[in-house]
Amino acid sequence: MNEMISTLVFYAMAMVILGTALGVVMSRNLVHSALLMTACFIGVGMLFFYLDADFLGAMEFMLYSGGVAILVVMGVMLTKRHDGPPGNPFNNNTILALGGAGLFVLVMIGVVISTPAPAGGYVSPDTVNELADMMLNKYILPFEIAATLLLAALVGAIILAKGDGEA
Amino acid sequence: MSIGLGHCLLLAAMLFSIGLYGALAKRNIIAILMGIELMLNAVNINFVAFNRFTVVSDLTGQLMTVFAITVGVAEVAIGVALAYRIYNDRLTINVDELDNMKG
Repeated sequence: MNEMISTLVFYAMAMVILGTALGVVMSRNLVHSALLMTACFIGVGMLFFYLDADFLGAMEFMLYSGGVAILVVMGVMLTKRHDGPPGNPFNNNTILALGGAGLFVLVMIGVVISTPAPAGGYVSPDTVNELADMMLNKYILPFEIAATLLLAALVGAIILAKGDGEA
Repeated sequence: MSIGLGHCLLLAAMLFSIGLYGALAKRNIIAILMGIELMLNAVNINFVAFNRFTVVSDLTGQLMTVFAITVGVAEVAIGVALAYRIYNDRLTINVDELDNMKG
């Protein structure tokens, strides 16, 4: 009974994620795309909670469905040329892109089905403590590199948006 | 039937291919950025699922996801700044019209 509920929850989350992702790509209005993208990130965050990654789930909610969504909506508003809803047109490569994406998903389905699933699994009792311990001991160098990357991205974004020779 | 690694990998593959389609078939820079974000999230799902369902003894996969999220968010900030700059200079963000370097 418990297992059945767990399976149902997974399929519900999968439908939310894939449905909203399809909406992001197919919507005619760019603002609707941005809002559906937020819903998709919320679905992914719920999937992280389902997979016992509670810290990552919280991070996904805060950074993606909070920060990235606001950034993207601001980008939509700043780059709108005329009145009316901002459009979201396809280009001339639609058939090619559909073929490539379809081929990719077919190959992946074949690979996943033909590979035996590994046994085992790991669930941490306290993800925040364990992640912090790893991040500040064994993986200190990637941590510092990520900090430098964030600083460079901050300065770069300001300089790009400010423009050359403007105040 | 209980949920295992294969279910998560299939879900991530479908999400990745939807994002790939959006990134390849759109004209608007912001829409292309959204497609790239969907692809990044699919990769994060893969990391977490491998950490959860294969034989490991620590949270390396989740830590890699933390770094992937960091890089993804930095990429969005730069991408939106670039889109704003391009719009300021040329009054268009249609990638088909940005062909100055075409031979």
